[in-house]
Amino acid sequence: MKNLFKTKLNAACFVLIPACIGINYLGKLFASVLKLPLWLDSIGTCIGGILGGPIIGGICGAANNLIYGFTTGDSITLVYALTSLGIGVAVGIMARLGRMEKLSGAILTACVAGLTAVVISTPLNLIFWGGTTGNIWGDAVFAWSQASGLPVALGSFLDEVLVDVPDKLITLLIVYAIIKGLPKKLTSLYELDDEVASLD
Amino acid sequence: MKSISLYVDKDTCLTRLHPFAKMFYILAAVSAPLIGGALWIYGLFLAISLCLLISGKIIRKVFPLIAFSFTIIITIFLIHGLFNQENQKVLFHLGPLAFYEEGLLYAARIGLNILNMLLAFATFVLTTKPADLVDDLEQAGFSPRFGYMISSVFQIIPQMMGTMNTIMDAQRSRGMETEGSLFVRAKAFIPLISPVVSSSLINTRERAIALEVRGFDSKNKKTFLREHKLAGKDKTFMLLMALLIAGSIVWRVLTWL
Repeated sequence: MKNLFKTKLNAACFVLIPACIGINYLGKLFASVLKLPLWLDSIGTCIGGILGGPIIGGICGAANNLIYGFTTGDSITLVYALTSLGIGVAVGIMARLGRMEKLSGAILTACVAGLTAVVISTPLNLIFWGGTTGNIWGDAVFAWSQASGLPVALGSFLDEVLVDVPDKLITLLIVYAIIKGLPKKLTSLYELDDEVASLD
Repeated sequence: MKSISLYVDKDTCLTRLHPFAKMFYILAAVSAPLIGGALWIYGLFLAISLCLLISGKIIRKVFPLIAFSFTIIITIFLIHGLFNQENQKVLFHLGPLAFYEEGLLYAARIGLNILNMLLAFATFVLTTKPADLVDDLEQAGFSPRFGYMISSVFQIIPQMMGTMNTIMDAQRSRGMETEGSLFVRAKAFIPLISPVVSSSLINTRERAIALEVRGFDSKNKKTFLREHKLAGKDKTFMLLMALLIAGSIVWRVLTWL
């Protein structure tokens, strides 16, 4: 438990963050090239959280949205910096608790990350877009909930749950497959309990 | 290699304005309408942003950004115009659909907010070179490690896009289908993304070693090749924006009284 938030801020971690941000971008790009109805833009954030811990995960998430917001003019992304931060921290904590070792744990992590995203995004959606998420399926649910007289907050919540939880589930399954395939040479850079042994 | 930044290289006074002054403009443009609470303040800032964009000769680059946000704005107008909870007064009919005044007003407020944010960010994004921004941030005392992080994102992404195209061609030549039904497309995602992700993560190891060798973890104070300080006109610009924010607070207090 003591090591939950322990972070090594060395060169390896500072190189990991831009790589993760790049991976986020690629995930989003592939999803749009293949016309998938998901975002898949947090693969890198999750990898950052798993390898570097909650702090690095959070930095990855927040920096991701801030950088894209300030350079590609996508001010919509900027609003969700908080959500990405939450996802990174949540996945990082779950990984430190040893949940990413098995497939069942990965699914649990996905649910935690998805719900974190929902809890943070719903108020943001309400403030900035009046409850919609910009995803066709989710917005259809929102329109339905408004037409049947449910409160705006509940409609927006359902909208987010429907979009975010499946998205995070698929994201973390992909991440699980990738992490399992990484060479030990790389993952050992980020292990916490390594010690420098001297020969004399 | 294609850059992901939208920066347009033009020598106008907007480009020469210090990045901090432009960031302060974003702050003013986003906060003043929220503080003031009246619809005309959005209009005022939209007009200022448009004037700035025209003076920076980049107005043509803004249209694709606006077109992109239009789909979202239209969804908001449809959903709130038709189904908002406070809808009472029917404004007009469009075939079998009835649009209500309250919902449309609410949607107008959100739509204006989106447009306003978009234009304010466009003035910053289109006229600021990411490398200059990082440089100025570091000179103002921002950690150079985070500075490296930001500037390396701009180097890594074009590289990764190159890798992505190579891998896409490689997988296609092995007979993988990337077009067709949703299931076929979803199945294609994993063999495409995992090689790029693993290879870029493996590359980070070499990058980390290269950085460490060049003294990345050194605690010494860094010096700069080019000093860039806030000039007189940057300060005047920022003062003007501060006055606008103060004005919106005064307006809010006056409307309450």
